[in-house]
Amino acid sequence: MNAALIFGLLIALMLTGMPVSISLGLTVLTYLFTMTQVPIESVALKLFTGIENFGIMAIPFFILAGTLLTQGGVARRMIHFATTMVGHLYGGLALAGIIACALFAAISGSSVATVAAIGSIILPEMVQRGFPKRFAAGVITTSGALGILVPPSIVMVLFAVSTNTSVGKLFAAGVAPGLVLALLLGFTTWLIARRRGLPRLPRASWHERWQALREASWGLALIVIVIGGIYSGVFTPTEAAACAAVYSFIVVVFVYGDLNLRQVPRALLDAAAMSSMLLYIITNAVLFSFLMTSENIPQGMADWLTAQGLGPISFLLVVNVLLLVAGNVMEPSSIVLIMAPILLPVATRLGIDPVHFGVLMMVNMEVGLCHPPVGLNLYVASGITKMGITELTVAVLPWLLTMLGFLLLVTYWPGLSLFVPRLLRL
Amino acid sequence: MFALKLLDRLEEALIGLLMAVATVVIFASVVLRFLSSVPHVQDVAIRLSMTWAQELCIFLFVWMAKFGAAYGVRAGVHVGVDVLINRLAPRPRKIVVMIGLLGGVVFTAVVGTLGAILVWEIGQTDQTSEDMEVPMWIVYLCVPLGSYLMCFRFLQVVASFVRTGQVPHRHLAPIEQPQPVGEQTTGSPSEARSAKQGPA
Repeated sequence: MNAALIFGLLIALMLTGMPVSISLGLTVLTYLFTMTQVPIESVALKLFTGIENFGIMAIPFFILAGTLLTQGGVARRMIHFATTMVGHLYGGLALAGIIACALFAAISGSSVATVAAIGSIILPEMVQRGFPKRFAAGVITTSGALGILVPPSIVMVLFAVSTNTSVGKLFAAGVAPGLVLALLLGFTTWLIARRRGLPRLPRASWHERWQALREASWGLALIVIVIGGIYSGVFTPTEAAACAAVYSFIVVVFVYGDLNLRQVPRALLDAAAMSSMLLYIITNAVLFSFLMTSENIPQGMADWLTAQGLGPISFLLVVNVLLLVAGNVMEPSSIVLIMAPILLPVATRLGIDPVHFGVLMMVNMEVGLCHPPVGLNLYVASGITKMGITELTVAVLPWLLTMLGFLLLVTYWPGLSLFVPRLLRL
Repeated sequence: MFALKLLDRLEEALIGLLMAVATVVIFASVVLRFLSSVPHVQDVAIRLSMTWAQELCIFLFVWMAKFGAAYGVRAGVHVGVDVLINRLAPRPRKIVVMIGLLGGVVFTAVVGTLGAILVWEIGQTDQTSEDMEVPMWIVYLCVPLGSYLMCFRFLQVVASFVRTGQVPHRHLAPIEQPQPVGEQTTGSPSEARSAKQGPA
């Protein structure tokens, strides 16, 4: 009953187009004010203490690093390196785009940044080399979604902090599924390209490949710094993110010269605005899940679901449908912050590993990013290619279907997600 | 008008600066930790030990979040669900958007006031933070200040919505880039700049 009231209010407020953060906060205030005796002053304190957590602070740092890295130089060299490796296959440039997206995803925590960085360079080039525009846009829009699956990932940090899961474990869990998804997307691309006889580039020599690798090494080193740094225990994810931001600053400003010092304040402001928006949602989501727990709603739901005799298999199916539907109206960070603390207690009761559940949510969010009406990747790609959203929706279909198939794979094969964390003994 | 412009610039400078300082602080603390295991410099490094860095970073970012959220209202970066309102006819749309905006005004005003009460109460005690021992009421001051500023920004948006029927909607672009040099990139990145953007 209470749950229906709370969710009804939340949904009603959100549908007015009010920011998600405000809707969450207002729901909590209204409920506490009218239905309970909880001292409302504690709300203001929660608004501060809700994000008083060093783990959360990885998010602004990763966003800053991402804002700096989207400046072109790093992405362009990664694309060049990937092109020398696979350019000679059918649809070579498209395959290179997928590899470049995967590489860029390994240094940036955001899939939108990945689409923007790789897409704005490779899409015009693909069209110039005779790839159909639709095909090009479809590949890049979907492979950009690797950004939130391949570590580091901002959405994974959000999942980790809202459910008390280890960020390190989640990051490790994203590696294998990320590689498999990249392979599957590549396979779909190759099949279509071969059937349609899309252009191949001349095979690059090993010397050229080596050269390209050396040029790309400034960006690739960041993978070693972030991932290597976290797993060797040199630093925490948050410290890794701060170092990544400083390193990106040095590479972008002094090594590649993509930005001059006068443009840095602008980048700082953009990153700060984006981070504040997220931190503001987090604060209010913390408030919201505080209300949920104090009303025992996750427990109630778990009891109800187990009473219905819902096993893990059907539960995961329901979760997937629920998340896919939510992906139609909200963007990933809001979904994760609202849903994860509610769904995870049920999942763990059914014996589902939290880390596996996290990866499943990430893949789900990726699907949501690639279809309308709120798929941000689509909007970025549409900005770059000047294609309409409707046309792009058709364009991404083959890869979107691949992703849905992959979602099933991830859902019902926990080993895929859990194998790397186990290997690393996390 | 001048005062408003000044407020805008101050707000932008403040959040950008907080971001920069936090980054430098954490980076420095990591470097120092490295140095404290290196012979010769380790004595100096240990003496400079920055155990307070994490706490400072959290405070800086919480302040950034509160004022950045206010800036976000003006810049239109707060994500919302616009699926429904985009399908409404102009008149009902106007009413629903207005309800949404007023919700923002009410929420930030209430939170600002609750925050002010909180700061006042803590000001009576001598609570200090764990590592840096700053009085907590100063730290918590960001809740009322930031929320009231955000409330003011919402009111500004309401005013301009009544006047022009427009709400700010700058989906921050991931690309803030100068025209790429060299390479035959024909697509202008400025197109992508106008594209929607989110944190994902």
